Amino acid sequence: MSDEVLESVKEAVERVRGSGMEGDVYAVKGRYVTFSIKKGEISDSSEYVDVGLGIRVIKDDKIGFGYCVPGEEGEGVAKAAELSKFSGEIGISLPSDEDMPNPEINDKMLRQTVKNSEGAELTQKMIDGASGAADDVIPTRGDLTLSLATRIVGNTEGLLVKERGTHVSGSVTASIDLGMNSLQAEEIRVSRRLDIDFEGLGSRAGEKVDSMRDSSKILNGNYPVVVSPNALAQLLGFGMLPAINGEKVRKGKSVYRDKLGEKVTTGTLSMRDDPTLDWSIGGGAFDDEGVTSGSTSIISHGVLDNFIYNLKDGAKSDAETTANGVRDSFRSPPDTKHRNVVLRGEGNCVCELMPDKGVYVDNVLGAHTTNPVNGDFSVVANPAWLVDGGEKKGRIDGLMISGNLPEVLKSVWLADNYKKCYKKIGSQGIIIEAPTARLNNVTLSGK
Amino acid sequence: MVINSDRILETLIEGGADYCDVRKEKWDEMSMDLKDGEIERMTRGVERGAMVRVLYEGGWGSVGTSDLDSMDEAAERSISIAKSSNEFKKEETGLADTEVQKDEVEIEMDEDPQNVPAEEKISFLRNLEDKLDVDFVDSTELRYREAVVEKEIYSSEGTKLRMKIPRIITSITVTGKGKSIQRASESTGGTGGYELMKGAYEKTDIVLDRLKSLLEADTPPSGTFPLIMDPDLAGVFVHEAFGHAAEGDLVSSGNSCLEGKLGEMVAAENVTIRDDPTMDGYGHFPYDDEGTKAQNRVLVKDGKLNDFILDRESAWKLGIEPNGGARAEDFRVKPLVRMSNTVVEPGEMKRDELFEEVDRGVYAKSSSGGQVNPAEGTFQFNAQEAYLVKDGEIVKPLRDVSFNGFTLETLRNVVGLTDELETGAGYCGKGQLARVSHGGPHVLISEVTVGGRE
Repeated sequence: MSDEVLESVKEAVERVRGSGMEGDVYAVKGRYVTFSIKKGEISDSSEYVDVGLGIRVIKDDKIGFGYCVPGEEGEGVAKAAELSKFSGEIGISLPSDEDMPNPEINDKMLRQTVKNSEGAELTQKMIDGASGAADDVIPTRGDLTLSLATRIVGNTEGLLVKERGTHVSGSVTASIDLGMNSLQAEEIRVSRRLDIDFEGLGSRAGEKVDSMRDSSKILNGNYPVVVSPNALAQLLGFGMLPAINGEKVRKGKSVYRDKLGEKVTTGTLSMRDDPTLDWSIGGGAFDDEGVTSGSTSIISHGVLDNFIYNLKDGAKSDAETTANGVRDSFRSPPDTKHRNVVLRGEGNCVCELMPDKGVYVDNVLGAHTTNPVNGDFSVVANPAWLVDGGEKKGRIDGLMISGNLPEVLKSVWLADNYKKCYKKIGSQGIIIEAPTARLNNVTLSGK
Repeated sequence: MVINSDRILETLIEGGADYCDVRKEKWDEMSMDLKDGEIERMTRGVERGAMVRVLYEGGWGSVGTSDLDSMDEAAERSISIAKSSNEFKKEETGLADTEVQKDEVEIEMDEDPQNVPAEEKISFLRNLEDKLDVDFVDSTELRYREAVVEKEIYSSEGTKLRMKIPRIITSITVTGKGKSIQRASESTGGTGGYELMKGAYEKTDIVLDRLKSLLEADTPPSGTFPLIMDPDLAGVFVHEAFGHAAEGDLVSSGNSCLEGKLGEMVAAENVTIRDDPTMDGYGHFPYDDEGTKAQNRVLVKDGKLNDFILDRESAWKLGIEPNGGARAEDFRVKPLVRMSNTVVEPGEMKRDELFEEVDRGVYAKSSSGGQVNPAEGTFQFNAQEAYLVKDGEIVKPLRDVSFNGFTLETLRNVVGLTDELETGAGYCGKGQLARVSHGGPHVLISEVTVGGRE
């Protein structure tokens, strides 16, 4: 079938060229299998097969976009051409054919598991792992998704690149029923290969919820907050990454506008967007516009180095693309988005971050309500524990943490325990590799 | 490509399926983004696809595909993946009975959006943008989305349905810089034709007033305060904090704080909440994605938990009647229990009477998002716009106001509702996207925790 899709891409590119236009064609063909967990057992299994083409045409520097399925290339090109009449003029240069590295992650075992619609056994391992934590711990929700997909980009400059990839994700929410309500804890892992310890994943969710039984009184006021890699990734994903988007910077919707070359965080922090790493979920040899992937330094020892761009947004800002053209699906034109975010810094042992009096937070609710323009956030810490004398004590319910992320990052303390955290930022799932961190200028409130 | 649904269903039943259905869809969608005077994005596309869903020996298997030539293979795979998960299943599942439906429905529209030329839609967005041309606005963003879905549902029980459902929405966002960089947004939309877009013009004044207020706003105080929610925020609150907990799949799987509470008081006596796909709104539909006729669900009646939102499986598990709560984002995915148009019913107070009840509190307007844990019964919301209220009067604007609490405690703390009802349109995420409406009156809650920096 992917050969058929490849032929369809060639056909669509020829039609674009034959109509006297420039353009590119993005195609995807994928199979996605999911096993769902409800109330301690596999509740159902589902699968979908997706195939389609996104066609972008450029005529007189005006861009139009249409999508279709293989076999309807003429209709797709016609729709895109029709809409291009209404676009503003933006001159973009499409990438031409070149030698590309081939870090294709195409795990044979995972591919076979998808093809055979297997995965129920792996799902059961997650259930068993969570249930084994304690007698009253039940994995009430979760799923396992296995996928294999081929993406192809072709354009009128002669580029035609194809990459096959495999993905697996497992998630478990473990619960303890307290009668009036429940306690819950979630664990998620995502990989390009079938290398996840599924039983261990379930165990971690179960053990986490088991550790939440005792409760402590809430803290109000200004106290240090130690956040897990997962919680830090959540805050960065919604409070900082949008401000690194070059188009938002151009439009003044970023606190980092006019800050290139300036110190914007603590000097121990460095950050890059690196889709070339072989564990990167959003990675690969090329982005969704066919541009060869590379590593982009965003912050180097606290100094703002670069913003990210796709072809169009780069052209508007007189900047080169950073190979950050990302599509939600073949139905969407490419937007500028992060692909794989890696933090690095001089870290400490987590124990050195724990305050005499403060809070430890494993996850936050409502990070997506962070003001993406100024970085103001006010989120619920859940689960969270009181820290007293440098030790984690009882669970705290209903605690809100408020602050301004760009300000918080100027005095953040980092640990050295970097973890790959899968985060859904809007419609996009990416990995943010982050450590445990201590936030020193936030306000706590609760009842 | 014509799918022979009867043959597929017959083959699956002969192969041992207890139940099966085929949902075939055609989506014709258009989108348009006007940003700072430039058309940044225009897309148009048509997709066709189908999903086969089978209940086999008490377990589900579903396969969706956009490759309609491979429907026979999809049907075979639906059985094979049901078998693979059944190997680990301890308890069989089932479906509550529902009336077999045979019907053809087209949602009425005065003006089919597909007949409106692209030029006219661009003019519409440009006219809206012209109204946003004031000195304190640095950036504007207008988004137009239309989708016309033609849907056919066939089941092994004999249901045969054809529906044509058009949905349309426009959102307006403005950004400016004052004491801090701020943005304000509003949207208008519904199920119907292009005529629904007339409502967008009145939204421009709302976003401008909102942005102007935010540019002068200070960070909020932190602590516990009385909170007045405007109709939009009240609607989002009942949708997120209560509505999700009332979804039958969560209730029947140990993921809802409402489990086992049917018939109990879960809110103050003055609170009535319903989820109604039969009313006009972005979440309107005539039949759900299992073919059950849509009906009004009164979830809370005078403070008492009265009903859940149910598909056929969750109704079977809970031993009650299904009420048309199954919705799928598109043909790729199986239906889940979802909300439609969720509203808290008005009370009897006038707005000034409600404000007079507040000595020192917060007035929060319109949501910029939130998150809930339906099992723990906790929520977090952000208001787009907010004010400090003293002695019943608005005294100063606040920015980036966020509040949290426990859902049932908060609903029990509702001490006043005004006599008005306004609704808005939006999207709900639950792994899949659903188009929904929400609304209510102004609602006064006696005590909510506000996360502030002072």
